[in-house]
Amino acid sequence: MLRYVAKRLLLSLVTLWLITTIVFLMVKLLPGDPARALSGPQAPEASVEALRFKLGLKDPFFSQYWRVLKGLVTLDFGHSWRNQRIEVWKGLLAPALFRSSKLAGLAMLITAPLAIVAGLVAARKRDTLIDRGIVMVGLATSSIPEFVTGALLAVVFGLNLHWLKPIASIPRHSSVITQLHYLLLPALAMAIVYFGYIARMMRSGAAKALESDYVRTATMKGLTDGQVIRRHVLRNALAPTITVMSVQIGYLFGGIIGVEAVTNYQGLATVILNAATNKDLPVLQYAVIVIAVIYMAATLLADITIAWLNPRARLDLDSA
Amino acid sequence: MSATVDTLSAATQERRRARRENWHLLRRRPSFIIGSLISLFWIACAILGDHVTPYNPLNYTTKPTLTPRSGHWFGTDKIGRDIFSRVIAGARDVLLVAPAAAVLGVLFGTILGMIMGYRRGWVDLLFSRFIEALLALPVILIGLLILTLADTSPLLGAITFHSRKLLVIYIVALLFTPIVARTVRSAVIGERELDYVTSAKLRGESGVYIMSREILPNIMGPIIVELTVRIGYAIFTVSTLSFLGVGIQRPSPDWGLAISDGRDLLRANIWWPITFPALAIATLVVGVNLIADSIQSVYDR
Repeated sequence: MLRYVAKRLLLSLVTLWLITTIVFLMVKLLPGDPARALSGPQAPEASVEALRFKLGLKDPFFSQYWRVLKGLVTLDFGHSWRNQRIEVWKGLLAPALFRSSKLAGLAMLITAPLAIVAGLVAARKRDTLIDRGIVMVGLATSSIPEFVTGALLAVVFGLNLHWLKPIASIPRHSSVITQLHYLLLPALAMAIVYFGYIARMMRSGAAKALESDYVRTATMKGLTDGQVIRRHVLRNALAPTITVMSVQIGYLFGGIIGVEAVTNYQGLATVILNAATNKDLPVLQYAVIVIAVIYMAATLLADITIAWLNPRARLDLDSA
Repeated sequence: MSATVDTLSAATQERRRARRENWHLLRRRPSFIIGSLISLFWIACAILGDHVTPYNPLNYTTKPTLTPRSGHWFGTDKIGRDIFSRVIAGARDVLLVAPAAAVLGVLFGTILGMIMGYRRGWVDLLFSRFIEALLALPVILIGLLILTLADTSPLLGAITFHSRKLLVIYIVALLFTPIVARTVRSAVIGERELDYVTSAKLRGESGVYIMSREILPNIMGPIIVELTVRIGYAIFTVSTLSFLGVGIQRPSPDWGLAISDGRDLLRANIWWPITFPALAIATLVVGVNLIADSIQSVYDR
């Protein structure tokens, strides 16, 4: 087990290095003149050139690359290009990430249990109307972009029914309950989108387990339905579901941008979209890398959990 | 030699028969019929566009933010443009950009995946690691980063309205390439040890010939499935990028843009400028995904 974890960790580090390099090369090699864009088209060339020096754009290629790699280890992402006094990590990304995590966490908390139960029900009632209904709803909700779901929920539950706050700009220093009240709409939008993926995976996992010999044995042995589901079906069907959920966490942070933008929630979206309008490239570049790290950490954790649940999974890496 | 020709044509006939059978099964699936009807409706809107809309979708026609009423079924937006006309005409750009991006992405991904799966060795190893890394990157954010970067380029910035769409097509296609390549690669690996590939090698056929004439026809199933799934994702991605302000640009009646423009109005209880474009996106992606799902279950049967 320890060997597996070590190997898996090493692979993640290689991937992280690759990601950082790809993003760095993308920013460096694509045609673009950020210093000119920052200064505006009217600015004299001399001042644009001065800005290039100030931002380190004129440093040798490898020293810029080294700075990015070193920054990743020391969590020093440099300063914002727009406002040189603001640090990219401490001043912008970390607080935004914290606020977005609250939203993502709430969404997962809502969607995971519902989707797991729905998947189990669908698998047990296979090919009935209930099953078809769950599958169809899951397919529909998971294919609609998050910002569209958010917009429609805001109109229905915010404006028409007045159940939820259509605009999630939380007042400063508000209590947890107030915060939750504001967070519920964007969280629900994300929960709806991710419900489909998780329910689908759970359904196929559970259907496979229900058809298996060990479940037949367990039933013949005289275990009750509940016991069979808890001890055998759930345990086996959860492994692929955990994988899907961990992969979803990466998408969750990608999709969160749309939901936050449409409901005006002050998380990563505000920081990232501001950076995009202001051509504040370091903020964008590190936002991408940080989200990739979260995604990798989630998949790593999921793989380790699965290997721990099912020793056979550890062999896959050895043969790869 | 004639024996090989006979078996080849037999294989082709077998494939034709399978294709007919799949089409027959597909036609009877209710989800395929519903999905096709929805998609065809929006394709018709995209083709006819401003020829059939009651008002010019780009010009303001009356007072801003009128509630839905006769004459303006979906109301008017914040500068007084007819929303019904804009929703109809808004199908065009997304249905031009998204399928084009999906087709290109599947094309690139198929070429890369076939080379990886057929050659194996260090090429496969290198690209597999690379793809693994790329898949960890959030598609929307990478798109945002690249398009923002392109905006700082004086060269690309000077380019007109239509080329912006081209840029979005290429970028979304490139974002889709790794995931398609991974699917195609595993399909090729399943084929390359089979007898027909070995016999083609013994005949002394070139790698390009074997990949394109022998293996490709046999993995068309997964590629078609991948293409329909990718079209759904491309609509998702393109409308999200437009909503975030880096995709299709104003004054296009694009739905994502319309939602972006209308979201501030929610504070003032003005719901119609964002509701109708949102419903348009929702129905289109659900329609396309119903088709993709039916094709997938027919091929996986």
